[in-house]
Amino acid sequence: MKPLNFAILKLFTDGRERSPEDVIEALKPEYGSFKALNKPEVLTSLMTAESNGLLEESRFELDEAGEVRMFFRAGAESIATINNYIR
Amino acid sequence: MEQATGMPSQAAIEAKNRLTGSFRRRGIITAVMSGITYGNYTAFMTLAMSVGIWSRFYGEDSGFTPFAVAFMLSALGAALTDTCSAVWALLIAAWKGKLGDFGRSFKTKPGVILAFAAMIGGPLASTAYVIGLQQAGSIVVPISALCPAIGAILARILFKQALTPRMMLGILICFGASALIGMSSMGGTEAHPNMMLGLLFGFGAALGWGIEGCVGGYATSMIDPEVSIAIREVTNGLSNLVIMVPILGLIGGASPLDVIGTALADWDSMKFFIIGGFACYWGFMLWYKGNAMCGAALGMACNGMFSFWGPFFCWVWIGLVFGIDGWNMPPVAWVAAILMVVGIFTIATNPLAIFMKKKEG
Repeated sequence: MKPLNFAILKLFTDGRERSPEDVIEALKPEYGSFKALNKPEVLTSLMTAESNGLLEESRFELDEAGEVRMFFRAGAESIATINNYIR
Repeated sequence: MEQATGMPSQAAIEAKNRLTGSFRRRGIITAVMSGITYGNYTAFMTLAMSVGIWSRFYGEDSGFTPFAVAFMLSALGAALTDTCSAVWALLIAAWKGKLGDFGRSFKTKPGVILAFAAMIGGPLASTAYVIGLQQAGSIVVPISALCPAIGAILARILFKQALTPRMMLGILICFGASALIGMSSMGGTEAHPNMMLGLLFGFGAALGWGIEGCVGGYATSMIDPEVSIAIREVTNGLSNLVIMVPILGLIGGASPLDVIGTALADWDSMKFFIIGGFACYWGFMLWYKGNAMCGAALGMACNGMFSFWGPFFCWVWIGLVFGIDGWNMPPVAWVAAILMVVGIFTIATNPLAIFMKKKEG
């Protein structure tokens, strides 16, 4: 089992875009018991990764509650970086 | 791969701008808070090292050699603070359900890199700083304040982070302000026989802290900040207490185990080390987190205000609350604090852009 933040980044190495909600859904089976698997903390992790060039924003939209939902993805170079650091 | 189906609505654009703006503000507040908590950590560590058994350690009849007083005691003070901080870090990680991730992260590549960066910025840079001060005097203080500039340059080279001439100007302003406080609080420059050697060690300290700031910040984009800081403090606490203090003690002709045991048993000082360790936990956790959220250049400049917050909280806690003489704030520190804010604003925002916006409005 990887640390939660590693698992979040590793998800993006398939090249697909994901929102925080998608990340939570994908990781729920294995990390459902983790207190940090919630929208604010996952979003902060994703935006921090974006600030450091590990992810990039792919698009955004308003969700049903009128809140912005951001989607992120990793480019080829970032995928190589993530795979280099996280096995 | 999912693709955007159309242009986002104006409401979505505004909401997204609010979210990214809020993230940036949180990053800056986090980095500024790291300097404030770092100032408290400095104050409580200093206070702990001036009461209880430490009065005897630093007294004339301590039996320690000048080397042991200068180096072993400094390392011991840092070791006790870091060890207390490590205990806080593990307790907080356990409370937040992140203790498992601490163990899992320690053995990974980012975890090992972080531990090395912590050792470079912790025991090695701190010892280099003390040696620099001993050999070259107060001129080392502004030299060591170069660490945000070094961190920003390293982050540019290693992690391709942004570093524009405007940001460099802001860093230069912050450096000047830190230098002003350092020079005023330590009595200006004076001639020392080993000046060059001391300057080299001072630069080594700045390099060590610069490396830790940019590497720690980048690693924190992969490792949770509360886990990162547990790795840092456990590494530093143990390496200081188990390696640095015994080595420096043996060189200085003291019995390190006796000194460590005596210090640990002294509640009068340990209670302040425990508080200092708590502030140390927040100081470094917010430093890593702030650097990760807003980049090494801005994060380290905001944190660099500790050169104001350090003397400020020493004055508040040691001078005002505990009534110990000799902890007044030098008036120039207030001027320097304003300069630092100007420097941080220069790094964070383009003053011309604000001016243009006002003009458009």
